[in-house]
Amino acid sequence: MLRIPLTILALFLALATAYAQDIQLGASIQLTGPEANIGRYYRDGYELAVDRINAQGGVKVGGQAHKLALKILDNQSDVNLCVRQYVQLVTQDKINLLLGSYASNYVLASSSVAEKYEVPMLQGGGASDQIFSRGYKYIFGLLPVASQYFGSTVDMMTRLNPAPKTVALLYADDAFDTAVAAGTRKDIAAAGLTAAIDERYSNNASDFSTLLARIKSARPDAVLVAGHETEVLNFIRQSKSLDVNAKLSAFTVGVQSADFRKSLGGDADYGYGMTPWLPLASAKDAAFGDAGKFAADYKARFGYEADYHGAAAAAVVQAFAKALEKAGSTDPKAVRNAIAKLDFESQYGRIRFSDTGQISLPQTVVQVQKGELVAVFGSNGFLVKPQYPTPEWKQR
Amino acid sequence: MALFGQVLVNGILLGGLYALMALGLALVWGVLNIVNLAHGAFIMLGAYVAFYLFTLLHLDPILALPVAMAVLFALGYGVQRGILGLIIRGPMFNTLLITFGLDVVFTYLAQIAFSADFRTLNPGYAGANVLVAGVTLPLVNILAGGIAVALTVAVWLMLGYSRLGRAIRAASQNLTAARLYGVEPRSVYALTFGLGAGLAGAAGDLYGLVSQINPYIGATLTAKCFVISIIGGLDSALGVIAGGGILGIVEALTTLYIGPTYRDVVSFGLLVVVLIVRPSGLLGRTT
Repeated sequence: MLRIPLTILALFLALATAYAQDIQLGASIQLTGPEANIGRYYRDGYELAVDRINAQGGVKVGGQAHKLALKILDNQSDVNLCVRQYVQLVTQDKINLLLGSYASNYVLASSSVAEKYEVPMLQGGGASDQIFSRGYKYIFGLLPVASQYFGSTVDMMTRLNPAPKTVALLYADDAFDTAVAAGTRKDIAAAGLTAAIDERYSNNASDFSTLLARIKSARPDAVLVAGHETEVLNFIRQSKSLDVNAKLSAFTVGVQSADFRKSLGGDADYGYGMTPWLPLASAKDAAFGDAGKFAADYKARFGYEADYHGAAAAAVVQAFAKALEKAGSTDPKAVRNAIAKLDFESQYGRIRFSDTGQISLPQTVVQVQKGELVAVFGSNGFLVKPQYPTPEWKQR
Repeated sequence: MALFGQVLVNGILLGGLYALMALGLALVWGVLNIVNLAHGAFIMLGAYVAFYLFTLLHLDPILALPVAMAVLFALGYGVQRGILGLIIRGPMFNTLLITFGLDVVFTYLAQIAFSADFRTLNPGYAGANVLVAGVTLPLVNILAGGIAVALTVAVWLMLGYSRLGRAIRAASQNLTAARLYGVEPRSVYALTFGLGAGLAGAAGDLYGLVSQINPYIGATLTAKCFVISIIGGLDSALGVIAGGGILGIVEALTTLYIGPTYRDVVSFGLLVVVLIVRPSGLLGRTT
C-alpha cells in the first residue's frame, strides 16, 4: 500500500536534491528552422562538454562537487522567440548562467537579456563587432571578431605567386556579414589590392546569376564571400554552371563543415575558408586531452566531424566550469568577474577575454583539397602549399 | 553589352523555372479558389523524392521527374479528398488556415524524416554549360526552362481541349451547371489539386538541380509563386509563363542596375502595382 506514496516521495527527494546540487546552464538554440543545420552543432558541443565534465566528477564550487545540468530550448530559428526564451530561462527557470545561440543576430538580441538581468552569457556563436561595442558587461564571446575574419586570407593573398591584385567582395546584409565586410574592406586597402566589386546582397538570396555575370565581366583575381552556408552552396554551384572562374575563392562559412563538402562533392575543391580551431594534438585540454581527441570523441558520439562551431560550444561550457571553480560560488556576479579573469588553454585554444568580452584567436586559412579540409596558412605563414591558382571549371 | 545579354538570359532562364513552380499554385487557385500556402512545401517534398531516388537508386533526376510528379499527385489527391474537401464550401479564410497548417506540418515532418542538412541534386551534368554568342547558358537551367514551358503548354492544352480539362473549367465557372452535365465535383477537385501538387513535384526536382534542398525552402517559394500568379493572372497557363518570365527578368535587371538587396523590394513592388493597375493580372481577363 505504501509503495506508491513512497515512490513519489523518493522521486520528490531525488528531484529536490538534484535541484539543490546541479548547476543549471540554459540556452535557446536553433534546433528547428532554417538555422537548425548549424544550430545543432551548439547543442551537441554543449552536451558533449557537460557530460564529460560530469563524468570527471563535475565542478567543485566551495569545496563541494556539483554536476552541471543543461536546459536547452528550441527557438525555431526565430530571433524574437529566442529572446523570450532567455527571459523565461532567467525569470521562470531561475537559471543564472546562460550559454549562447548560434549566429550574431541572435546573440546581438539575446545578450540584452543577460545584461538586463545581470547574468553572464558565454557564447561561441556570435562574432559581429556590434555585440561587443555596446559596453555590455555580461556577454563574452569565443569567436574571433568578425571584422578580422578575412584578415589572414588577405595576408596569404599577398604572399601567393602570382599574387591576386583585384578582389570581388560579396556579403549578406546581416549584422555578422556586414561587420566582416567592413573589416575586409580595410584589409584589402591595406594590402594594396583593388576591390573590383563590393556588393551587398539580401540574406537568404538563392539566385546569384546576376552577381556572377558581373564577376565574370570584371574578372577579379579573387572572390571573397561573407554569407551563410546555403548562399555559399548556391554561389559555388552557379559559378560552375555559369563558368565563372577566379584564381582564389574564399568563404566565411561552408567549406569548414563536412556536410557542406559532401553535398557539393568535387565542386567544393579549391575553396578557401578560415577557422579559429583545428583538431590538432598540440592544443592540450584538461577535460578532453587535446583537440584531436576532442574531435574523435565528437565524431564517435554524433556521427559527423566537428568544426569550430562545436568546438567553441564545448569550450563555452568548459569556460563556465573553470569560472565557477575560480569564483567558488554560483552567484552570477561572482561568476561574471571570474570569467573576465579567465586565462587557460583548451582544445579550442587559449581562452582569455578582452575588456569588451571578446577573445583574440588567429584565423587559420583552410582549403578543400580533394574533399579534405587542409590548413594552409597560419599566423606564422604557409603550413602547406595551397592549390593555387584554382583551375578553370572546364579543366577540373 | 555582353553583361546585359548574360543577365537578361539568366533572368529568362530563371523565369522558366519560376513559371513551373507557380503553375500548380495558379491552377489550384483559379479552379478551386484555394490559395495553397503549402505549395512551397509540395515543391520541397518533390525535391526530396528526386533526391532520394538519385542517391539511393541512382535514378537520374530527369528520369525521376515523372516519379516525383506521381508521388506528389497522389499526396495532393489525398490531401484534397481527406482534408480540404471537407471545407471546400467554407470561407476562403478556412482554406488559408488549413493550407498554412499543412505547410507547417510538412516542413516539420520533413525535418524529422530528412534532417536539416541541406542536399543537392548533383548529377555529372549539373554544372555543364554551352557558350552561345558570348553568353553562357547553363544546361540544367535550359533543361528546367524547357521542361517548364512544355509542362505549362501541356496543362494549357489539357484544360482547353480534354474532357477532364473542360470538366475542371466547368466546375470552376458554374458548379451547378457542371453538375447537371454530370461532372462529379469531388473527383474533379481532387484531380485538380493532385495535378497542382504534381506540378510542384516536377518543379522541386528541377529546383534541386539548380539550387539546394532543405526542409525550409517552402515558405519563400510559396511567396514567389504567389507573386507570379498575381502578375500573370489566374486565367491561363500562358499568363503564368509570362508572370514567371517577367519576374525572372525584373529580378535579374534589378540586381544589375539597382543592387542585389533591392530585388525583393522591386518584385513585391511590382506585385502591388499590378494589383492596383490590373488586379486580374497582366494576361488575365479584366471583367
